[in-house]
Amino acid sequence: MEGLTSNAVIRFSDVSKSYGSLLALNDVSFNVEEGEFVVIVGASGCGKSTMLNMIAGFDQPSNGRIEVQGKEHSGVNPQCGMVFQQYALFPWMTVEDNIAFGLKMKGQSKAERRQHAQEFIEMVGLRGFEKAYPKALSGGMRQRVAIARVLANSPSVMLFDEPFAALDAMTRQVLQEELVKIYEQQRKTILFITHSIDEALLLSSRIVVMSARPGRIVQDIQNDLPHPRNAEVQLSERYVELKRHIWGSVQAEVMRSIEGAA
Amino acid sequence: MRAEPAVRGASSAPPLPRRRGPIAGASKLIISLVSCILIIAVWEGAVRFGFIQPLFLPAPSQIVNRAMLMLEQGTLFGHVIASTWRVMVGFVLASCVAIPLGIFLGTSALSRAIFDPVLSFLRPLPSMSWIPLSLLWFGIGESQKYSIVFMGSFAPSLLYVMEATKGVDPLLVKAAQNLGAKQKDVMLEVILPASLPQIISGLKVMLGIAWTCVISAELVAAREGLGFLIMNGKEYFQTDTVVLGMVLISLTVMATDIVFRALERRILKWKD
Repeated sequence: MEGLTSNAVIRFSDVSKSYGSLLALNDVSFNVEEGEFVVIVGASGCGKSTMLNMIAGFDQPSNGRIEVQGKEHSGVNPQCGMVFQQYALFPWMTVEDNIAFGLKMKGQSKAERRQHAQEFIEMVGLRGFEKAYPKALSGGMRQRVAIARVLANSPSVMLFDEPFAALDAMTRQVLQEELVKIYEQQRKTILFITHSIDEALLLSSRIVVMSARPGRIVQDIQNDLPHPRNAEVQLSERYVELKRHIWGSVQAEVMRSIEGAA
Repeated sequence: MRAEPAVRGASSAPPLPRRRGPIAGASKLIISLVSCILIIAVWEGAVRFGFIQPLFLPAPSQIVNRAMLMLEQGTLFGHVIASTWRVMVGFVLASCVAIPLGIFLGTSALSRAIFDPVLSFLRPLPSMSWIPLSLLWFGIGESQKYSIVFMGSFAPSLLYVMEATKGVDPLLVKAAQNLGAKQKDVMLEVILPASLPQIISGLKVMLGIAWTCVISAELVAAREGLGFLIMNGKEYFQTDTVVLGMVLISLTVMATDIVFRALERRILKWKD
């Protein structure tokens, strides 16, 4: 607000977070612009989930300011839709009802919700599974439902907390490709957490590398790899160069955290 | 941040086929049937051949005769229906208060602190101990029976519900809030359905307790009902009536349990 130019959707200003005497996040400042796909990479315990939780309003910073669309939020902010690693689907609801949950909270009628949900059911390729309960779905399908559920709620920001970490490698790859497609269609602002450098390189328009605890930003790289990021791109020199570059700082941080723990 | 990346994923694997013992399905039914017939036959024989005095334990045939007689007189079902109705009214009333209150208390630490002393006091009181007060307050009419069932099943039901809400995955609450759910929505749309399986299994136990309550209430003061039937049989030394009353209690509880289970399967069809 203080005369800052860009149309940043998320703005971290000198944000620190501590739990008791444990400093999880130390003086982080960065912006996410509208339509960016930012992937945050870091070793375990670097405070990246804490960042997402604070953006979504589940947690508040100990110091500094977090603004979403120019406003500080004191409670949970449904404008930041979160996709969780453990899917967090409501097991007593069908696929359709899960996806329409946010719309129900907005007070839409049943018919409106159904129609609206159908659009997203088709977007994530779950046609025919409208009436299925989550127990009948595979992990990949469950995560599709979770993504559709957030999309249907039309948030301005989508937050992904290691969403594919629990999936097998094949499913993960399929979902990564689908997510890129959805991103290209919807142009949502996305903040995505992972500890896989390859995942970061495949998905992002920008990569932020975090240090081990207390979390700080150690690298902020524009990902200029061409689309689509197929096998050819993944074997290109630029890809390998970026990977080596990121791995260099991640490795140092991992070593630091291991030594710190020992 | 997360030390157990693949744990949840594991739950998506198909469940192992249920292990069956050496006896399964139809053969189990046959064995149970044979055992049932055998016990009745031995019992019948023991009375007929004079090993047991009919006054102490009448033969099954005598009990059946008594039942037939009461059927002809048209009083048999009256007793069953009277008791079942009392159980249902008291039990439904208790559940209607215990479920919402339990969910509210389960999610609010402040209200828990307020209600805890009262609950801790009420919980250990057996339903029998309420009989004198309930007679004083409600007389010997139907509402006294309802109140006994209510008092006997309310406090434990409430505790079951509160306990059930504790088992709800906080991640689901988080997801709901993230999708715009307010406090009220979280309670109605998340906590209630998520804890329903636990609540229902608690209520199943409560239903048994409600039956104990109604029988004890009827033993003390009633003109109808299975408890009354037993007590009345005792007055006239009609042991067959006493045992018939016991058999009817058992059969009715079994029947309600079957209905309850069917209901449970319907409500919880999303459960694995």
